[in-house]
Amino acid sequence: MKTKKEQSLYPLWFLFPSLIIFGIFFLWPIISSLYYSLTVWNFDTAKFCGLDNYKLFFSEKAMSSSVIHTLIYAFGTSGLKVILAFFIAIFLTSKIKTKNFIRSAVFFPNLVSMMAVGLTFSYMMHPTKGLLNVVIQALGGTPIDFLGNPSLALFSIIMTDVWKGLSISVVIYIAGIQSIDKTYYEAASIDGATGWQQLKHITLPLVAPSQNSIIILSLIGGLRSFDLIWSMTGGGPGFATDVLASVIYKQYAAGFYGLSTAGNVVMLIVISAIAFPLQHFLNKREEAIQ
Amino acid sequence: MKKKALSMVLAAALAVGMIPATVVMAEEEKPYEGVTLNVWAGNAEYNEGTIAVMEAATEKLGMEFQVEVNPGGTEGDNILKTRIASADLPDLMAYNSGSKLYDLNPSRAFLDISDWDIVEKFDDAFLSSVTIDGAIYGAPQSSTQAGAVIYYKPDYEELGLEVPHTWDEFVANCQALADAGKTPVYFTGGETWATQVLFLGDYYNIAAKNPTFADDYTNGTAKYASVPEATRSWTKYEDLVDFLNADKSAATVVDGNFALATGEATHWFILTQQLPLIIAEAENPDDIGVFGVPGDDADNHGLTVWEPMSWYVSKDSENVDAVKAFLDFYYTEEALDLYFGTYGANGPSCIKGYELPESVCSAVRVDMQKYFDDGKTVPALEYQSPIKGTTCEQMTTAVGLGQMSGEEAAAAYDDDCKKSAVQLGYDWE
Amino acid sequence: MKKQKRLLLLGDILGVAVTVIIFLIPFYFMFVQSIKSKAEANRLSISWPSEIHFENYLEVFSHANYQLVTAFKNSGILTLFTVLGLLLTAAMAGYVIQRRHDKIVGGIQAVIMLGLMIPAAILPTIHMLQSMHIYKTMFSMVMIEIALQTPFAVMLYRGYMASIPVELEEAARIDGCNRWQIFQKIIFPLLKPIQATLIILVGVQTFNDFTNPLYFLPGSENTTVQLTLYNYKGQLASSYNLLFADIIAITIPMLILFLIFNKRIVDGMVAGSVKG
Repeated sequence: MKTKKEQSLYPLWFLFPSLIIFGIFFLWPIISSLYYSLTVWNFDTAKFCGLDNYKLFFSEKAMSSSVIHTLIYAFGTSGLKVILAFFIAIFLTSKIKTKNFIRSAVFFPNLVSMMAVGLTFSYMMHPTKGLLNVVIQALGGTPIDFLGNPSLALFSIIMTDVWKGLSISVVIYIAGIQSIDKTYYEAASIDGATGWQQLKHITLPLVAPSQNSIIILSLIGGLRSFDLIWSMTGGGPGFATDVLASVIYKQYAAGFYGLSTAGNVVMLIVISAIAFPLQHFLNKREEAIQ
Repeated sequence: MKKKALSMVLAAALAVGMIPATVVMAEEEKPYEGVTLNVWAGNAEYNEGTIAVMEAATEKLGMEFQVEVNPGGTEGDNILKTRIASADLPDLMAYNSGSKLYDLNPSRAFLDISDWDIVEKFDDAFLSSVTIDGAIYGAPQSSTQAGAVIYYKPDYEELGLEVPHTWDEFVANCQALADAGKTPVYFTGGETWATQVLFLGDYYNIAAKNPTFADDYTNGTAKYASVPEATRSWTKYEDLVDFLNADKSAATVVDGNFALATGEATHWFILTQQLPLIIAEAENPDDIGVFGVPGDDADNHGLTVWEPMSWYVSKDSENVDAVKAFLDFYYTEEALDLYFGTYGANGPSCIKGYELPESVCSAVRVDMQKYFDDGKTVPALEYQSPIKGTTCEQMTTAVGLGQMSGEEAAAAYDDDCKKSAVQLGYDWE
Repeated sequence: MKKQKRLLLLGDILGVAVTVIIFLIPFYFMFVQSIKSKAEANRLSISWPSEIHFENYLEVFSHANYQLVTAFKNSGILTLFTVLGLLLTAAMAGYVIQRRHDKIVGGIQAVIMLGLMIPAAILPTIHMLQSMHIYKTMFSMVMIEIALQTPFAVMLYRGYMASIPVELEEAARIDGCNRWQIFQKIIFPLLKPIQATLIILVGVQTFNDFTNPLYFLPGSENTTVQLTLYNYKGQLASSYNLLFADIIAITIPMLILFLIFNKRIVDGMVAGSVKG
């Protein structure tokens, strides 16, 4: 019954403008590229080779480590963003006077391009003359090779990514928190609920839709991201920060188009194997809460 | 300032030299007035020297230039390949010669210029790097260069060191420098392409012992892990681990220019395309010298040579005549002097019979020239084999930083090359 | 009450201090490099320059025949039309996707989600643009940017739409509005807060996009702002002072956009919650 009514109220043609643009300019080229993942392809000739590209892709030396790096990177960045942004958003929707200033400042990194952020942070993380190490040394510590030490490099990039990308999550949270009806809080106050209880029983459940968007966006973004990695370490030192997307990019750069297309298909499968169940779960949770 | 003054003098000299030419063309003074050539070049090729030559060409022939600066490196390769695929090329573009040109499959994109007069001026080594199936595609953008050791001579004088002719002598020099509190070798882990130069520049020593290495390697029979001299190219990095700069993991090529120019470090394994930039920062141009990557035979110390980047003409260009006129001008003695006088040279020129102007540094005119005169040069492997592993620079960085052993890297690199070979259609089973 | 006030003050002070250290110092770092001499900038220290070189900015602007001005024009047009197109199409899509729960919509949503997961296929896209004879046109570039950012925008709208009560639509329907009028008169105005957010996020994303214009809109007359950075960064020539002057110059338009809409986000939100 409900669906029937919905169908008549919310017409499908509202979706057409988006679908047409998305279908022509994104989806169709992707579909046609699937064919090329089964070929040895160098522009002129696409020689069919079955699943060879897939086999070759999985035999890549950096393959297994790059999958692990991808997962660490995705869960690290999205986890930090979801948690930090929530508390910052709570802080910025409280009664403090400087919230406009702080919110603007938190947003600034988002205004700068990825390349500029990557350059700035790799300079600030320089092992001898970088700002961070100058401070560490002034405080009496030993300098840290943030990007040159293979066991640290990935985490240094994760922190930079969070620095740059945090604000989007903060803004989504703020939008969610501010659209919560104030009367809930008033009612709760009258009933004698503490601030913590209000946070837990009103804010947290009611920002669930916003939170779900943040989780999905940042996790998927993290799984396919590599531009910051590329501009800070290029996958190095050695292979310490190579992720799936950077391995694929290098194959593309080498002119192995079939191979890199196969890599894209693999990445798509990996991401959807994580993202679709996760979204299903989050949607269920969202519906259960409401 | 010095450079500017110099280029003005040269421009004046050029104007004087041009007088007979203008007399000949009195009727049609600037034949290509109103023509605009679209040029695509990285900022390495689109340097002050190139700009000066283009300005002189506009002055003399009338054509204007609209230059699109490409990002270079991996992105640059991607863009050019993409644009070739989509048949959307500028009139004139700068790109590598050798195997990277071969990768592009140039016959469908670039004009065969073998019947142009300028081709007569290029030496054979250069021509072979731009010739595919009998067609000649490229014209040299600059001079040759080498993958070698650039060093700071005052440190050698101070400690009374001699230019090493074997790897052991080189390591001993490094030890002496380290004992004297200097940084013996500069390493730029922050810019990985540059860490390959020791490996790639050591090719002279592999080829000296294994004259057929390039062919065997292309056919999949010679491996880095199994040919001792080839494995050595990887293990040499291990010998240097203790001699590197403190910021080895983050240093960039620009840092390297400064470090060598000021003597902050003594040696740097790098392409000699950096020479003009190092000299520009150095107090005295003669402080900077060059020697080839040392091998084990003191009597056979040679240099691994790269041909310059080349200019290529689009097959679909509507301005072929103007491009031809520009390139005719580009290889006149006046234009060459203008280029090398303004920018400097990366190595000896590949134009037959042309002598670099006096203003070019002694590292090129003396140190490098000697290897050429003695016939102790070999073209880099990329001019002899189309196969190169895609993760080479990551591995040289890892070995250089001591995160991987040389043997491990040699074996891993063999696997990597195999993958490339398969993609290029070689059967390596 | 007094205790709460003191707590708030403490929050203010700590909040500002942490914010300045973490979020503003890197900008200060960029700025000081941009007004140094080349040699001094290469040392990458955060100290104030010994001599101020504001002319770096002039050099950046006049470089290569005022290339930066052309780039600003191109990036501006691209950003404007992408934002306008996306605001309308994605709002309509997000509305229906959030409100309607049948299989078709679920399928469509899954397909759009794909867009978040895979990068664009470059060569096939170019071939398609060529066969449609729109390659190297601003139109196709705008369409591609819209297509690439549709998933993100739809998702944001969908999330926000959940907070708009269905009852409002029912009231409007009783007043005799048809389906389009409900969307246009009731829903669309209520989307203001999220639209201000989207204008900034999509605007910044498009303006700062580097790779897509590089592939799909080549040619020196089509240069976009991010591409100008390559004049100062490369294998052979690097001038950190000019690089950072360029970075700051091309970030300022986004800063202005942000300052304009920063306040609108707040206003819109207050309005939204009052009506809600």
